[in-house]
Amino acid sequence: MFTKILIANRGEIAVRIIKTARRMGIKTVVVYSEADADSLAVEMADETVFIGPAPASESYLIADKIIDACKQTGAQAVHPGFGFLSEKAEFAQRCKDEGIVFIGPNAGAISAMGDKIESKKFAAAANVSCVPGHIGEIADTAHAVKISEEIGYPVMIKASAGGGGKGIRVAMNRKDVEEGFPAVRAEAKGAFGDDRIFIEKFITSPRHIEIQVLGDKHGNVVHLFERECSIQRRNQKVIEEAPSPLLDPETRAAMGAQAVALANAVGYDSAGTVEFVAGQDKSFYFLEMNTRLQVEHPVTELITGLDLVEQMIRVAYGEKLAFKQDDLKINGWAIESRIYAEDPYRKFLPSIGRLVRYDPPAEGEHGSSHLGAYTVRNDGGVREGDEISMYYDPMISKLCTWAPTREAAVAGMGRALEDFHIEGLGQNIPFLAAVMDQDRFKSGALATNYITDEFPGGFNGTVPTDFQTDVMTAVAASMHRVMAARARTIGNGLAQRGVREDWVVFVDKQERTVTLVDGAVGLDVVLSGEGRTLSLTETDWRPGKPTYKGLLNGRAFTVAVMPAAEGFTIRHRAAKAQVVVLTPHSAELHKRLPAKQAADTSKLIISPMPGLVVSIEVALGQEVKEGEIVCIIEAMKMQNIIRAERDGVVKEVGAKAGDSVAADEILVEFA
Amino acid sequence: MQHILDELEKRRDQARLGGGEKRIAAQHAKGKLTARERIDLLLDEGSFEEYDMFVEHRCSDFGMENQKFPGDGVVTGWGTINGRLVYVFSKDFTVIGGSLSMTHAQKIVKVQQMAARNGAPVIGLFDAGGARIQEGVDSLAGYADIFMENVMSSGVIPQISVIMGPCAGGDVYSPALTDFIFMVKDTSYMFVTGPEVVKTVTNETVSAEDLGGARVHAGKSGVADGAFENDLEAMTQVRRLVDFLPLSNREKPPVRETFDDAMRDEPSLDSLIPTNPNKPYDMKELILKIVDEADFFEIGKDFAKNIITGFARMDGSTVGIVANQPQVLAGVLDIDASRKAARFVRFCDAFGIPIVTLVDVPGFMPGTKQEYGGLIKHGAKLLFAYAEATVPKVTVITRKAYGGAYDVMSSKHLRGDVNYAWPTAEIAVMGAKGAVEIIFRADIGDAEKLAAREAEYKERFANPFVAASRGYIDDVIKPHGTRRRIIRSLKSLNHKVLTNPWKKHDNIPL
Repeated sequence: MFTKILIANRGEIAVRIIKTARRMGIKTVVVYSEADADSLAVEMADETVFIGPAPASESYLIADKIIDACKQTGAQAVHPGFGFLSEKAEFAQRCKDEGIVFIGPNAGAISAMGDKIESKKFAAAANVSCVPGHIGEIADTAHAVKISEEIGYPVMIKASAGGGGKGIRVAMNRKDVEEGFPAVRAEAKGAFGDDRIFIEKFITSPRHIEIQVLGDKHGNVVHLFERECSIQRRNQKVIEEAPSPLLDPETRAAMGAQAVALANAVGYDSAGTVEFVAGQDKSFYFLEMNTRLQVEHPVTELITGLDLVEQMIRVAYGEKLAFKQDDLKINGWAIESRIYAEDPYRKFLPSIGRLVRYDPPAEGEHGSSHLGAYTVRNDGGVREGDEISMYYDPMISKLCTWAPTREAAVAGMGRALEDFHIEGLGQNIPFLAAVMDQDRFKSGALATNYITDEFPGGFNGTVPTDFQTDVMTAVAASMHRVMAARARTIGNGLAQRGVREDWVVFVDKQERTVTLVDGAVGLDVVLSGEGRTLSLTETDWRPGKPTYKGLLNGRAFTVAVMPAAEGFTIRHRAAKAQVVVLTPHSAELHKRLPAKQAADTSKLIISPMPGLVVSIEVALGQEVKEGEIVCIIEAMKMQNIIRAERDGVVKEVGAKAGDSVAADEILVEFA
Repeated sequence: MQHILDELEKRRDQARLGGGEKRIAAQHAKGKLTARERIDLLLDEGSFEEYDMFVEHRCSDFGMENQKFPGDGVVTGWGTINGRLVYVFSKDFTVIGGSLSMTHAQKIVKVQQMAARNGAPVIGLFDAGGARIQEGVDSLAGYADIFMENVMSSGVIPQISVIMGPCAGGDVYSPALTDFIFMVKDTSYMFVTGPEVVKTVTNETVSAEDLGGARVHAGKSGVADGAFENDLEAMTQVRRLVDFLPLSNREKPPVRETFDDAMRDEPSLDSLIPTNPNKPYDMKELILKIVDEADFFEIGKDFAKNIITGFARMDGSTVGIVANQPQVLAGVLDIDASRKAARFVRFCDAFGIPIVTLVDVPGFMPGTKQEYGGLIKHGAKLLFAYAEATVPKVTVITRKAYGGAYDVMSSKHLRGDVNYAWPTAEIAVMGAKGAVEIIFRADIGDAEKLAAREAEYKERFANPFVAASRGYIDDVIKPHGTRRRIIRSLKSLNHKVLTNPWKKHDNIPL
């Protein structure tokens, strides 16, 4: 076996590879850029090599530097991770030429699958089902109709040179083709000066399902079943799972067999992924093959018990696969949520910065979702205090849960997301939790347009459910009780009335009267007038702690608690509320105070992040259309373009080039 | 007997009604609570004892003899905040607009004097229309009596003013003499002369909100130390503030049971200072990570944000925190920042509250605006305040401590008790680039040579060890242990004895 390998990557995946290498007794070398000098991967590696400035194009993407680093450290092999050089055939070839083993497929397989047209040809030759369509010349409308009918409706009529939503039309029937074909052709001619058209099958509500394959250098290829990655936002995968809730054993076997056939056809000899688009009717068509380890590989590892990185290293060394297809079985269900540094409440704008607090759930088995035990795995490459920089992918970590059933794995993911506490930057945990709580997601009715379907107006959090309102009520009352009791301890001799145990709790506007009673094991919050008692046990909160964990009537929860000027802001999953605990008299006065109108911010363009104003692109009195650039703000050396969210006339400009602005500072106001 | 008791109750009920139900409804409609409702929120439940409920004015001019209300427009008395004594007066806008008569003033002076005598804070809630013009000079005399008590009590007991409605003319000067002013957003304003007079005199059209609203004073003028959303929030936050403060200069700051660990390390602080020396970071993160339970009561949050001031606790004991904020104007000291911090330091010193200073300061702000504005004298205020302070002073330099600003920020030379530096500290006369351009003026134009000189200067001075070698820094500490080290230092300073020479008073450059 290798004694030392180099990891030509960074962050989470570098850490991931180090862990496996360590277990296998292989020493690791990590290369790093200026921005990663103090990273976790660098801390964990046995040796490190500095390879230049932060931008990947000046460091991680330069093959010469990686090869030099191998030579300098005597690393026998390179694991490219994903991204960067992982799918560059020239790099794989270069390694080979230099006598360094590339832990990945051979260069020929990479280049064969790297070309979209080439890969489709290979696929067709290997009898892999491709999207039915017609690529040749289409003479006229009648010809188009004939082709469409051969393919079967619905079909997509697309200009060859098309893009950006132009020159595309979906036809549901013959009439649509008769109208659409000439229209698309005219549009294509006008827009692109190229009226070549092709027609292919249109898949309604498609799903993204991919097959993990694994080959060795001895001609053996197996598949490790599928992953479904339909939950995507702007073609970026957000939630993945294995297996897919769509597939039955027959479809799975058919897809697996096709993926293996394709891998065989290109002489594939490492871990790779064959991506398919699938219809809700379980039809499936080849999309492309990724000749590398996938980001979402952990879900496959969780259901197969295999370590894909270990397998990649072994086959790269020349070992034969130690198992055959028949030895592989699906065990349970695994879900992965990608935790991104982006603000879901602000149109998922990147939100880079410092991880002021980073406290992920503990890895390993957890006994306490209401649907049973689940296992947590968190692939991260950061520590508290680290920076999510603008130079690389804004992913913070990959949170996975595993359980015997999908239902339990989803419930476990919901709990694991509750237990994940991050401060300092915007992150998508509330959004991910909202998805876990949706009936449609729970039912497995996924599609690549899931997010646009389910969050048409963007993400604004969810309204607290009854359970969540109960949690917030009980948590706030119990925190208030601890603080009130402690506050009394600074008294200096003046008699105080007894500790009050009846309080009024407002969860946003919802008002409840509660009486607090010490229960046998925890705190009982008696809801007056509802004939119910909320029993709070196994709590771990103390003043200053940003999360509150416990059981409410036996059901586990963790909420984020932030002290506010009055009461607390409490968030459970995607539901957030202001919670205030008051004496009955104060509650009356509280109700008397009119709710303040939230400032109308629709006319304001506010800074989404702290930064330096590079330029203001509008002037007083200027008419601005939605989508026009208003201002450019530099944050962390990265320019962020702020665009108008509506039409308007500029009434006031609140900042000028060179100003530093805080988050939420007003940049421009419309009349 | 019963009828006598009934009569008392009847009179009390009448007094509690203030200006009557109609006016109370009008007060509520404006989003404001009444004088008594505010007291209910401010004090511990049932702890308020009212004085002078039956006081009425004695004016008989302009038909005033027919306009008498028991209490005369201000509710006064005492109660407790978490069991600790405080005196309160709360202006009742429903009674003749809360205007100030001689008797009204006498009521306030009574609680002011009791508070000073008994060593307890005075909290004034303002919501009034100014002088009672019908009383003429008597009203002015009343104001002056209150001012006099404000001044005599200054530095003896904490005095807190909350502006919860109009506060204009003579009314503004009592709050101005107190230690802290808070305002309620949208419902309060404060100015010496109102929009009408402004219009007549200067022909300037301005709304009350834009002239003296909470946002103006908390953000622009610095008159207010904070602004709150509504009456309830304001009262809750004043209670929170009082919990930090000693009741008078005759007692030590309060110690409260803490749930935090005095030995707690914060590993993430080791990476707080960015590798790039010109990159800002958030000093508040450091504050929140080293104080008890991340509980920090900020004073002047929206004003001169380049310096942070406020109260926190360390191992249960109150401390005053002063910290440069590199995120705003690189943490530079300018006129506003110097004034803000100087006043805070003097408050802490007056009331025996130890001061923890966190330093990352590139110097004083250059420019005509600052110099014309008198930066020299304003900057000297902060220097003066730190120098004269005899309370325990613990300082941590996190990054830059350049030039005169290094001296000012609670340096060893100004009797800093314990002065720490992080290894990232750069204690020098100025940044390397500027220094090199002066020392090696001859090399200007030779970029390569200059860069080499700069590197040399950095190597030599951009660290804490030169200062440490002279004993100006007591120790260079690891960031993650900052909380532990500060707490240990403060404990060691618990019985510090240090006095300044006798003087009638000092002559701080006002």
